Amino acid sequence: MASDRGLASRVWLRNLGLLVLAWEIVGRLDLVAGGALPALSEIAVQAWADRGDYPDHVLATVLTSVAGFVIGNVVAIAAGVVFVLFPLAQRLMRGVNIAVFALPAIAIAPILVLTLEGMAPRITLAALGVYFVTMTATVVGLSQYDTRSADVVRAYGGGAWRVMRLVRLRGAIPDILSGLRIAAPNAVLGAILAEFGGGGRWGLGSYLLGSLGRGDPARLWGIGLTATLIAGLSYAVFAVVSARVLGSTRSVTLNTALPDPGPAPGPHWQRAVVGLATLAMPFLLWWAFIRLSGVPDLIAKTPWAVVDYLFLADTAPKAQEKLLAALAQTLPMTAAGMAAGLGFAFLLAVLSRMMPGFIRAFMPVALVTQTMPLVALTPLLVLMLGRGPSVTLWITISVTFFPAFVLLVQGIQRVPQSVLDVPRAYGASAWAELRMVSIPAALPYLFAAARLTAPRALLGVMIAEWLATGTGLGNLLNQSRGYLDYAMIWTVAAVSVIVAVVGYGLVLAAEHLTNQQ
Amino acid sequence: MADQPAISLKGVCKTYRGRGADVVALKDMTLACPPGSFTALIGPSGCGKSTALRVALGLEDHDQGEVRIAGRPPAEATAGGITGVAFQDAALLPWRSVARNIALPLEVLGRDPARYSHEIAQLIELVGLKGYETALPGQLSGGMRQRVSIARSLITSPEVLFMDEPFGALDQIRRRQMNVELQRIWQETRSTALLVTHGIDEAVFLADYVVVMHANPGRVVDVIEVPFARPRQDALYSAAEFHALTDRIAKVLHGV
Repeated sequence: MASDRGLASRVWLRNLGLLVLAWEIVGRLDLVAGGALPALSEIAVQAWADRGDYPDHVLATVLTSVAGFVIGNVVAIAAGVVFVLFPLAQRLMRGVNIAVFALPAIAIAPILVLTLEGMAPRITLAALGVYFVTMTATVVGLSQYDTRSADVVRAYGGGAWRVMRLVRLRGAIPDILSGLRIAAPNAVLGAILAEFGGGGRWGLGSYLLGSLGRGDPARLWGIGLTATLIAGLSYAVFAVVSARVLGSTRSVTLNTALPDPGPAPGPHWQRAVVGLATLAMPFLLWWAFIRLSGVPDLIAKTPWAVVDYLFLADTAPKAQEKLLAALAQTLPMTAAGMAAGLGFAFLLAVLSRMMPGFIRAFMPVALVTQTMPLVALTPLLVLMLGRGPSVTLWITISVTFFPAFVLLVQGIQRVPQSVLDVPRAYGASAWAELRMVSIPAALPYLFAAARLTAPRALLGVMIAEWLATGTGLGNLLNQSRGYLDYAMIWTVAAVSVIVAVVGYGLVLAAEHLTNQQ
Repeated sequence: MADQPAISLKGVCKTYRGRGADVVALKDMTLACPPGSFTALIGPSGCGKSTALRVALGLEDHDQGEVRIAGRPPAEATAGGITGVAFQDAALLPWRSVARNIALPLEVLGRDPARYSHEIAQLIELVGLKGYETALPGQLSGGMRQRVSIARSLITSPEVLFMDEPFGALDQIRRRQMNVELQRIWQETRSTALLVTHGIDEAVFLADYVVVMHANPGRVVDVIEVPFARPRQDALYSAAEFHALTDRIAKVLHGV
């Protein structure tokens, strides 16, 4: 074991060394887009020259991330506890939860800037980035508790709250910690996206945008690598903490009982009422948020005001025309990028059985990208690929490909060796094995990957449109911000959230249909 | 003997409604354990013996009949701290030390564990785990974990003690050792005990009354009194009258 690990880390170090060397050569010779990818040494020299600028920008981003991380997680864990204790609350908030998961942060940033003050918009966006991950982890952790220990508490007259406090909360800590581990880089990403979309002077996002116009590749890369490093460190901190906690208190025996799925749904009319309330809830919260923030109606638009603007008022035809034109540019791009990213990941993952060496070398890279604020690095891609439509496609592919690849490979590796041995024992060819085992095994994970990456793909496209291509929803949002067209800002934000939720719903429906067959 | 039984089930019925078929777990179950007695519930899997215990503890509802623990409804009795319970699996909280696991019922009942430190130390000694007070369950063997669970069931000095196959996960040799110890502990506490088991020899060795149940539907078919004097010794396992009684119970059990 120990020597295995030693060997693995030596191989890993060697690969890292090769990567650094290749980067240095490519950078020195200006092989990528006429010097858009500078050598690491050039980046380091530029970062040293900029050392006076970094502390304030890094501090702003880190403070925002930490504040958002803390607030978002407190809300997420509290929500998880409430959802587990009251399943009805979970059903009612389902629409809100999906919206929070799917919403393109860049679309929300301008409306948060309109309604909140100071650092609040940035912190809110960082908090929104962590909420869904931690909430889900909390619900899963609290649901998979040891029913036998709960019986002991109940046998002494303990109620649901006592069971929660004495058994479930502590038992959920490993799950919550792994949630926090994934949430931490999300907070950094949220903070940077808020800096993109919200303006403001300080923060790595602002620094990146400000430097984009100056076209100094080495500086842009320095900022990008710093952001990546901060996100990676935040992940590493929680990876260490959760390894410590897991080590000491692993459960002694396996619990074979499944957690209670909650009361069966009531009669039809009752389910219909709950369903309608679930749909209405996001709009209700939107309305409540505006009323509570006390921002005048001229700036803050309620759901009704957006409907009025888009369908009833004199401005409606013009607004519809603009919006449809933007959607016609954004949606095909998102779909194409996602299809390419998912398809490529599927192909590579399925073929991975035949190339174990490739997977060993590539998997660590793919895993590292999971902690990178990839969409926040859009300016670097703009630098390398220019402002044409290809940059949009590449961003979408990069944000879909890596998570999909990791999920798919892990899914395929879950197929036990014995299942593979059966076709092999009958002399199956590599192709037959692929068709009979690897592809069917990977298919469910393809849906999971699509669900996971659809919102990110839309986010990537909108950022590219906002920053670079001057087309689609992202551009419409940025333009409306410039014209102070408040109704259009709210409309684009609402429409992009709805598009993301509908996309998520479509994947879910397709997955459901496939599972039934 | 007082007139009022410590554990009383009268005409208890319980049906699990599944998809398609309903399972009658308990049909018209009646049971009366005199105070200070040791009763064993024995029967094949699915005869409802564990369900009877869970109903008596208020962990599950019943459809019909009356359940009384020391004359009170189960919820009131358990919340009043007069019951103790040990399950088949030790069900210890893996993040709590031995001493803090034993203190769990006190916390549920809203009592201050600090005021019971003397009792906790005594119980740890009683179950033979002195020196393991701060150990975590993961560091103990299966038998030791089960002793912690027995100690936990006794921390409230219960009038009524419920045990659901507490040694079910142990091998035969450790089981017999634990049975001798359990008898000693029970005799010191003088509580009313109800033991659910599927081991005939365990039931005969420990109990004053052996209640035999059959499945489909779960019901009591016979109550057999065990006359052997206490404390019962290991030698009893090889006595002829012990075997005569286990054979008789086996016949009732198999419905011959």
